[in-house]
Amino acid sequence: MEESRDGGWTLVTRKPYFGLPTACPVCLPVYIYLKFGRCPFNLELNSSYPDSDQIPYIEGGTYVAYNNEKGGVIQQLKQDGVVDLDSEFSSLPEWVSMKAMMSSWLADAITYELWLGSGENSAKQIYYSDLPWVIGKVLFVKQVYDVKQRFHISKQNAEKKEEEIHDCAKAAYRALSAKLGEQDFLFESRPTSLDADLVGHVLFILQALPEDSVLRTAVLEHENLIRYAERHRNDILNSDPSSASASNFQPPPSAAQTSSSSKPKRKPKREKTEEEKRFQRKAKYFIGAQLAAVLLFLSLLGSSSKVDIDEDDED
Amino acid sequence: MAKPDEFKPDSPSENPKTEVDDENGDDGYEEEEEEETEEHELDEEEDDEPEPQLRGRIPQSAVRMQQAKLQGLFQRLQTQTVPLRVHDVLIKGNTKTKDYLIESEAALFKNCTTMQQILEVSRAVNFRLQALEIFDSVKITLDSGPPELPGTSNVIVEVQEAKSPLSGEIGAYTKAEARSSTVEGTLKFKNIFGHGDLWDGSFAYGWDNLAELSAGVHFPRFRGASFPLDVRAFLLSQDWLQFSSFKERSMGLSVALLSSTNHDLVYNLGWRTLTDPSQLASRSVRMQLGHSLLSSLKYTFKVDRRNSPLRPVRGYAFAATSQIAGLAPDSRCSRFLRQEVDLRYAIPLGILNSALNLGISGGIVFPWGTGFKTLPSPLPDRFFLGGNSSPISSLGGPTTVWGYRTRGLDPTEPRRQLKSNGGDEDAADPGVDFLGGDLAVTAFADLSLDFPLRWFRDRGIHGHIFASAGSLERLTQNAYKDFSLQKFVSSFRTSVGAGIVVPIQPFRLELNYYYMLKKFEHDRGKPRFGVTFSM
Repeated sequence: MEESRDGGWTLVTRKPYFGLPTACPVCLPVYIYLKFGRCPFNLELNSSYPDSDQIPYIEGGTYVAYNNEKGGVIQQLKQDGVVDLDSEFSSLPEWVSMKAMMSSWLADAITYELWLGSGENSAKQIYYSDLPWVIGKVLFVKQVYDVKQRFHISKQNAEKKEEEIHDCAKAAYRALSAKLGEQDFLFESRPTSLDADLVGHVLFILQALPEDSVLRTAVLEHENLIRYAERHRNDILNSDPSSASASNFQPPPSAAQTSSSSKPKRKPKREKTEEEKRFQRKAKYFIGAQLAAVLLFLSLLGSSSKVDIDEDDED
Repeated sequence: MAKPDEFKPDSPSENPKTEVDDENGDDGYEEEEEEETEEHELDEEEDDEPEPQLRGRIPQSAVRMQQAKLQGLFQRLQTQTVPLRVHDVLIKGNTKTKDYLIESEAALFKNCTTMQQILEVSRAVNFRLQALEIFDSVKITLDSGPPELPGTSNVIVEVQEAKSPLSGEIGAYTKAEARSSTVEGTLKFKNIFGHGDLWDGSFAYGWDNLAELSAGVHFPRFRGASFPLDVRAFLLSQDWLQFSSFKERSMGLSVALLSSTNHDLVYNLGWRTLTDPSQLASRSVRMQLGHSLLSSLKYTFKVDRRNSPLRPVRGYAFAATSQIAGLAPDSRCSRFLRQEVDLRYAIPLGILNSALNLGISGGIVFPWGTGFKTLPSPLPDRFFLGGNSSPISSLGGPTTVWGYRTRGLDPTEPRRQLKSNGGDEDAADPGVDFLGGDLAVTAFADLSLDFPLRWFRDRGIHGHIFASAGSLERLTQNAYKDFSLQKFVSSFRTSVGAGIVVPIQPFRLELNYYYMLKKFEHDRGKPRFGVTFSM
């Protein structure tokens, strides 16, 4: 696992695959978002925890933003002022509705395709290829079951559900394609988190899913989406994070160095309050009482056993 | 009783049967002597009376000769070697238990050449058969051998199989896959297939937040092997959130391949998962969260020649444990080498039953495989120092430095800092995670002595003064390049103290006062009274 040696931000994602810096469809938008925001970061990989909802997460010193808190990593980066690309657009109704569409319809479509559709092999490569076979197999079966539970899929309604999910995804592609047109970004000429989500989504479908995937076929119908994703992919993959200008928000002073052997230090003694002194006195009395009770019990135990022996002798 | 003219003192095989019945734990040989003495006394009483009609056919002088010969026989048994071999071992009473199991336990009879040896072996065989826990009673009888083979006897082993195959117990144990002693409750099913098999289901709780649910089977002699076979399936959960911000859950199989007094060989196959529900873990712990497969072989050699593990006054003990993990065709499983060594030595000082106990323990863990120099060692397999157990009785590697709390020694790493809801101010300090070390060494010296009062001496309560030291060091992820012996020695923490030891079989309870002579900033230890409990 690559370590971050120079401090700063570290993004922990799942492993790269299919020509993508991270093949996980949840991690890729975060990666792209940081690239759009010109935030320098190191990339670390976690291949041993495929079922964790904490990943992706970003860390810097003792600061950590997990994906399962406060709306996700991107939301926390915005709230904490690390990278905020949505400040001018997040209150627009159009922006909000597109965000909701992407985080529900398109996210569900990717999830369905990966675990219940044609992307099964891709899922195994992305999430379980670095785990022992037995563990990977069990976790995959468990994940498939969990996804079925989440979508309330049964044998009776499987086809209907699949059709519903694909129809929603196709409707979303039409709307996004219409909104995008031939622009570089969805809103004005500036990237937002929506662009990160959409670019990540399209790139994942094009490169990670097989050719017979329904989602892939649906995306290919919208050439402007393909051009948009390809254009930004080249920018993202060719840009060097170390040469980007530093963001305004720096991570807290790094205290993440492991504390190893050092000269013995004494904590400065603080004055004890009257209450603390009284409490300590009471604690000593309590321990003394316990000790006396143990000794008394042992003496009684010893004398009772002696009485038993005497009675036995008399018998 | 044999006729007097047929009795031959040199062939005791033709004597009446000798029962060695240890059902009550008594020595059957002594009972037989008492019976014969009583018979002898009865005979003497009968001599005073007019001989009964039946006895009138046997002359009195013949009876006296018979008695004299019997007396002579027992005298010879006590003072001389009476040559006698075992011709055959007959087994009775086993309806379910396979013959081979009892025969293998009774195989010691084959090598006996004297009556005394046979009686001694009978006692041992009786004990071993009782130890199988599948019989309610075991009776061993010596019978005369075939007449054509003088100087031989037959051994009859009569067993009564347990009426109820179900039993339950509560006790304190140390199992192969457990890292510490546990208190557990067990439900056992005995001898279901007749191979002496013991099936059990148990729940255990250990002192270091360990909870384990397991089921296993024990074969005393699997397919005729000379050693027992233990197979256990376990589900184990250990909570280290307070100390290192992670929880460990492990499930798998443990097979004890070899188990004897000095040697133990155990194979473990387990799926281990580390999680952090608190989401406060430090960076080093976060990197280790997730799933891993542990396939390891652990060999332990142990020799304990001390007079008592609870209060050693003389003798020595040595234990070495070697573990190699990664024994699987899949290269993606956890791979490391782990070695622990313990040495204890007790020197009697002669006054007030005093003794000086010295001990040193060391351990090292290191990953192996491709890129091993940059890989970290698995967090649960590192060494952590501190806790409430006494280093005198335990031989489980470097674990304790007196006075330091559980997992209370550096190295540490700051946990994740949370922002408070109020604003930009940081929330309360979340503390540090104790990360353990790849190299650990502990040492101690303990002077124990009796109190002058007899009341204490009678109960084994004694005092002790002690000093201990220990240190941890990281070696993995290229940290070994910065390692130096001088720096390691200077990093030793030391503590001294005194206390009272109360041995409560099988536990050792210590009530001590500790004082830290040297500690580091994040070490969890301070001058205090404390209780140590170990077994």
